[in-house]
Amino acid sequence: MTALVDRPTAPASEPAQRLRPPVTRRTLLLRLVLVGFLVATVWAWFFIDMSLTAMFGGLGDMARLLGRMTPPRFDDLDQAIDLAFETLWMAVIGTALAVLLSVPLAFGAARNTTPHAVVMAVCRGVIVATRAIPDLIFAAIFVRALSIGVLPGILALGVHSIGMIGKLFADAIEQVDEKPREAVQSVGAGKWQAIATSVVPQIIPGVIATTLYRLDINLRSSTVLGIVGAGGIGFLLQQNLRSLQYDRALGVVIVIFVFITVMEFLSAAVRTTLLGGDRASAGGRAPKGSIGAALARRIGAAGPSRQGVEEFDPDTVRPPFRGERRTKTIYAVGFAVLLGIALRSVQLNPFEVLGSLSDMGRVALRLLPPDFTTARDGIWTGMLESIAVALVATFLGAIVSMPLGLLAARNVAVNRAVYLAARLFVVFLRGVPELIVAVLFVSAIGLGPVAGTFALVVGTAGFFAKLIADAVEEVDPAPRDAVFATGATRSQETLVSVVPQAMPALVGNLLYVLDINLRVSTVLGIVGGGGIGFLLFNSLRVLRWETTGAILIAIFAVVYAIELLAGWVRKQLL
Amino acid sequence: MRNPAHAVRPAADPIVRIDGLSKQFPNGPLALDQVSLAVPRGQLLCLIGLSGSGKSTLLRHLNGLHRPTSGDVEVMGVDVVRAKRSQLRELRREVGFVFQQFGLVGRLSCLENVLSGALGRLRAPRFGVLSYSTALRRQALEHLDRVGLADRAFQRSDTLSGGQMQRVAIARTLMQEPTLLLADEPVASLDPESSAQVMDVLFRIVVEEQLTVICTLHQVELALGWANRIVGLRDGHLVLDQPVAELDEREVMDVYRRVEPGAGPAASPDRAGERRATRIRS
Repeated sequence: MTALVDRPTAPASEPAQRLRPPVTRRTLLLRLVLVGFLVATVWAWFFIDMSLTAMFGGLGDMARLLGRMTPPRFDDLDQAIDLAFETLWMAVIGTALAVLLSVPLAFGAARNTTPHAVVMAVCRGVIVATRAIPDLIFAAIFVRALSIGVLPGILALGVHSIGMIGKLFADAIEQVDEKPREAVQSVGAGKWQAIATSVVPQIIPGVIATTLYRLDINLRSSTVLGIVGAGGIGFLLQQNLRSLQYDRALGVVIVIFVFITVMEFLSAAVRTTLLGGDRASAGGRAPKGSIGAALARRIGAAGPSRQGVEEFDPDTVRPPFRGERRTKTIYAVGFAVLLGIALRSVQLNPFEVLGSLSDMGRVALRLLPPDFTTARDGIWTGMLESIAVALVATFLGAIVSMPLGLLAARNVAVNRAVYLAARLFVVFLRGVPELIVAVLFVSAIGLGPVAGTFALVVGTAGFFAKLIADAVEEVDPAPRDAVFATGATRSQETLVSVVPQAMPALVGNLLYVLDINLRVSTVLGIVGGGGIGFLLFNSLRVLRWETTGAILIAIFAVVYAIELLAGWVRKQLL
Repeated sequence: MRNPAHAVRPAADPIVRIDGLSKQFPNGPLALDQVSLAVPRGQLLCLIGLSGSGKSTLLRHLNGLHRPTSGDVEVMGVDVVRAKRSQLRELRREVGFVFQQFGLVGRLSCLENVLSGALGRLRAPRFGVLSYSTALRRQALEHLDRVGLADRAFQRSDTLSGGQMQRVAIARTLMQEPTLLLADEPVASLDPESSAQVMDVLFRIVVEEQLTVICTLHQVELALGWANRIVGLRDGHLVLDQPVAELDEREVMDVYRRVEPGAGPAASPDRAGERRATRIRS
């Protein structure tokens, strides 16, 4: 063994005395993107007249508003609860509608199932367009075109959700393993038979995950649709604020907060039972060991863990009604019942909902031809303002959520109390939708992009902190032990081993947050928070449909451009 | 190169003293049961035993990555069990740790991984290669050169082979300038050729730096050729503790409850091991 010692050592020549990392294409790009983002943020900062005095002044105004709001009054609690349920039913019906419409679109848009290239292009176009236009804008348009009430709200949720659901369904179809399909086709099955027996079973988990995830999002966004008159609890809030009954308004906000928080826990529990721990990530959320998982365990529902060899009974040629199959059936029936209750409660019959889809065609035709000339300057500055609000809010939100996200990660937080406090704070920040926060900030500090920016910062801080915490909790512990073993302190270890490991997720999520903020900032104007939304809402009020069409195209172009840019950067960097 | 014989030189002051160490994991088995052990300065000690016998747990108690359920652990005069965070940090600086799974941050360059070995000496948090001083970077590069990987300094460490990763991890340990080296199955996840390379590098460094080493190993031949003392663990009990000179392979294999074909139905391996252990201790 000692002979090994005498083996020639590594070449004794001078090591390459390069002590700085070489600049590669990747690092150069990363720096360019970072500098670009910072420069754009500085421009945006001045464009919307943001300043530190405005920031602290705004916080002071908000504190004064909160002072006027407390103590909250729950005079119209019955009405608020009724409207909260209406909000729930709208989300359920809207999501169901979106799934119904998305299935054919997804099969048409997926490369491996589309009947024709033209069909594929059309389906993809619809999916991209519905994703780029925020649901609140759809709601505002439908309210003007149809009437005030829950129907336009449901349609808005349904149509906008197609964008995400259709895309994720199509992705799932394209990622299907082709071999079973070839096998089924080789026994002589037709195209649709083959799809039904080989493609559909493979995409089911993805479909369930996506649907639940979207339901979650719709529960949240349906609370604000009432602001434009599209049904739900947002209407009551708007009413109370307009009549300056701030204490009642706070009561409504609290009801919304409780509603959203309860729904979040419920849907997390449903997701864990239906998809199991390992599948929960298919929807991109609900990490293992979440509160939802714990709740699911307590309920005692069957996850995939009950799988195993079932006893075979040759007399009954049907699978045993046990374990996963039973759980899934119960949930399917449950969801159908829920949908029935929802339709009954809002007094809509399903054909009316589907029938109104044809009305939407008429609305779309009215938007043509788009008129860019009448309000050219307004569209231009409005769009720039929306972009500026999104940039500043993303920047400020990121600064707040970095430390918050680290503290809210179980494996990095200093101790359990800090972890719980941080998580609770994140839930609190996320409990009220940005638009409602925007309504409050506009009431506190007046119309304008600064109020909108504040609202977006609050939303971003909560959302991004949650994403960061989830990403950090998935970091590999082995390198962390190794770094601790060298005698590193906590903060040293965090920066050297946790942050680099989570970096791809951090950058990816930052781009995602920017993307989302841009969408939200286009609607902030509807409640007076600055940006293009104000012009859009005005054009609707005076029924200038062609101008509305032009604004929609502008929003679509910018949102889609940012989405493409973000996708490109993500691909280059990760 | 210094004389490798330094390792056998008897030393009076034990660098590691373990007394009645037990560890019970929550909802888990009793990982260590009343283990006592003293390691003199300069010794090359190999811990052997089946997976789950408590070897890694024992190692992790030595630098405070685990806290014992009961018993005492003293390393280089520091009471690890009752040490404050700052004392523990001080101790960890002196104790190198080589992990089975290397413990590199895959997305960072090799040089940055090696540099993280210097964190114990530094105050502020660091981020990126350029946040370390030039002198430190030069030193890190020298250590990388010693393990034969200077040319990979700015390559991402997750692009390396397993053997190369372990060598980077060794360079990181060198960066600490340790006096005691703990190695947890340093070659268990490597192929035979990389294993030989890694053990070669490790042994050369241990001898050059006159380190005290506690190393867990699966390969009995490797342990016999390498160490000057072998300690066997089974189910958290100490079942073997002998200088290598007095051991043959069969006795060591007893720890694994394997009986070599030529051995015959001798005494139950269990008992033999335990008897030996008591004899050594008394």
